[in-house]
Amino acid sequence: MSEDSSSSELSEIEIKLLDLAKSNPDGISNDDIKKQIPDVPLTEITAIINKFLRNGTFDLFKTKDNLLYKYKDPSNKSTVKGADSEEKVVYKIIEEAGNKGIWIRDIRFSSNLNMTQLNKVLKSLETKKLVKVVKSVSASKKKVYMLYDLEPDSSVTGGAWYQDQDFESEFVDVLNQQCHRYLVEKLEEAMKKPGGPLLARNRSYATANDVHKFISELGISKVSLTVDDIESILYTVVLDDKAERIKAANGSNLYKATNRFLPSSGIVKITCGICPIANRCANTGSINPKACSYLSEWLNQ
Amino acid sequence: MSSQLGKVVSLILIDRFGPVVERVGTSLYQFGSSPLLHIKKRTDLPISKIKESLTILIKYQLATFAVNQNENIANYSIDTDKVLLMLRYPKYINIIKKKFGDSSEMIVEECLQRSYITASEVILKVHERLTKNEESIPLSQLKNEFISLVNAKYLIRLPVNEAVDKPVPKLVEQEIHTLPPVDVILLQKFKAGEAVLLPDKDIYWHVNFDRFHQDMRDKIIISAFTKKFDENAGELVKILLQQMYIRTDPWADVTNPIPILEIKDLARKQKNLGQLNAFFDQYVNVIEQDHSNLIRKSGEASGGSFQIYLKDAYKQFAWELIEQCVMEKFDSKAARIFRLVKLKQYIEPNMIQKLVMIPAKEAKRLTYQLYEENFLHIQELRKQAVGGGGPSKLYTLFHIKLELVARMILELCYKTLFNIMTRRNHDKSTNKRIIDKKQRVDTITLGMRSQGAEEEQLAEIEEMITPPEKEIIARIEKNMKKLNSIELEIDDTIFLLQMYLMYN
Repeated sequence: MSEDSSSSELSEIEIKLLDLAKSNPDGISNDDIKKQIPDVPLTEITAIINKFLRNGTFDLFKTKDNLLYKYKDPSNKSTVKGADSEEKVVYKIIEEAGNKGIWIRDIRFSSNLNMTQLNKVLKSLETKKLVKVVKSVSASKKKVYMLYDLEPDSSVTGGAWYQDQDFESEFVDVLNQQCHRYLVEKLEEAMKKPGGPLLARNRSYATANDVHKFISELGISKVSLTVDDIESILYTVVLDDKAERIKAANGSNLYKATNRFLPSSGIVKITCGICPIANRCANTGSINPKACSYLSEWLNQ
Repeated sequence: MSSQLGKVVSLILIDRFGPVVERVGTSLYQFGSSPLLHIKKRTDLPISKIKESLTILIKYQLATFAVNQNENIANYSIDTDKVLLMLRYPKYINIIKKKFGDSSEMIVEECLQRSYITASEVILKVHERLTKNEESIPLSQLKNEFISLVNAKYLIRLPVNEAVDKPVPKLVEQEIHTLPPVDVILLQKFKAGEAVLLPDKDIYWHVNFDRFHQDMRDKIIISAFTKKFDENAGELVKILLQQMYIRTDPWADVTNPIPILEIKDLARKQKNLGQLNAFFDQYVNVIEQDHSNLIRKSGEASGGSFQIYLKDAYKQFAWELIEQCVMEKFDSKAARIFRLVKLKQYIEPNMIQKLVMIPAKEAKRLTYQLYEENFLHIQELRKQAVGGGGPSKLYTLFHIKLELVARMILELCYKTLFNIMTRRNHDKSTNKRIIDKKQRVDTITLGMRSQGAEEEQLAEIEEMITPPEKEIIARIEKNMKKLNSIELEIDDTIFLLQMYLMYN
């Protein structure tokens, strides 16, 4: 029953006091408490009330020299507790932004507070653990504010592809390769089976769900990926020109590994076609075909 | 017309015709169409040499002439495309060899070497060469082969001079496909040494490059379909293209509709196409429904008729070629960005970073690198802020101008050709001593062997080339081979890009 006892393990008296407060939405005075809970020393009651006030379960009111304690629902407890009107306004703005968060500049515009004042308010809200700062992945220096207990949206954290604001490109690359492998295997399998080319083509199509299942079974991902995540990976495979995407009758996307039209052409087989300093190459000067080390290397291959 | 192309042209001319012709050719390239005296002033060559050079260039159809304003003078200009085609001669010969066989190959070879020639002359010449190789093909057969080449339009008649009285001749094309009046009996008499007058004395023939280019164009399309689908699809497209010529002008953008039943019948007649015949309709379906959209159904009449979109095909090929370049020059991620811009046509940088799944910073770097190297282009949109006072908003959109990029790659191809040739000449001249020595030794051994020398003697002479020298020779030979083969492949790339630009 000491002050140290955590709020989750409420003592008998605390529960009694809470019930009393809940049953009187207009608030309870010290006299009410004394009447209802007579057998507890006043010092102990005071300690409990102080604790409730601190964690926001109770609100303190003063009416005609009389102190009233009012119960407050913990789900929206935060607006209270010593918050001045500025804090309330700012809190409300942040609350409206939801789990996408809001940038400090936007808060300033909508609250009409000046910078120093706003900083003070935000700091105080932060220390009260009402709001928190989340770093956005889209711009590393941009910070957004949101309510303390909210889970940030994937547009802020970047979803499955980000870890601590860092894009995990290796992870994406591996997934890209695996998705492509799956499609190629599917194509080869379809080609082996008897039946015409139309049948083979139709068999080689895979939905994102199929690929999702395959990737989940592989167990290469630490985080759980959604089908949408796989769709965006598959789109990169399409962009790599290794697969094509068509719309199925039900509106979902179908994917299929494809071949390209051309074999690798002459211009990319020799170093000149891919030379980074081709623009500076001439018959005279230090960069010239006679002494080109890239060309020599290529010839010695 | 670029300085790069000029350099390649001058290297080709120097290689085939020597420095004097090269000087005249380069002067024509640099200053454009000009009369004789201007050329003299610029090149500082004696007039007789210039005349000789111009004759050579005109004979090989590398230069053309037209009447000046002063009707007594001709303006000469160089045809760079024709000069570049000289690199393609081995390919032409190869096409004929595959299609018509060895003796036809020789006919075309002679035509290419001499540029123009009468039918009788070429038949006699080839016959002579064949007898030297101890093969005997009757003259009448050679004549038939020549005629079939003319019928297939691989050889056409040279235009003739019509206005005899004018100082500058005007060449007029007439009946370029009429058959030559070749008389085999007269040829035999001529061969026997009798003084007979050949009936086709002044009718000259030359190679029709255009016809060869059609073949090359078709081959690229067929192999593309074979690679994308399978051999059977390739065969199907091959028959489609064959049938195209019946109805369509060979260089049309889109072929006229071809009834599919006709193709089906033709496919059935060929024995080795079992797989294709078994699933004919399915193959047609698969090719038609592919999203490359190169072969489209145009109507339902007589079982459906199809059109080949040749222009679109080459556009597609050009895209793929450029994508390859981006891929090799930068990396696969850059190629991914490039393709995204291609798909979206106009796209904001933010969208690029979001869709390609590359870290934002990296994506930005690659995008601007592509922009720097002129693979991507920027379109800026300015949006005036409401009220006029605020800063105007600027949207940056990335897009690709394919034709520009294609021309840039073409330019790079010319540069590569120039580099290959320069390198080859350089390697040859630095190792001239060893190459000459090897040649000398080779001739000596050949001579001694024909005289019936002992093996020991031969080995002794062989030893004149020391092992390190042998190593160098082997290396040079390898390099030359590699450079020669890449030169042909670069030419393939040039052909593809030129086709795209032509259709465009």
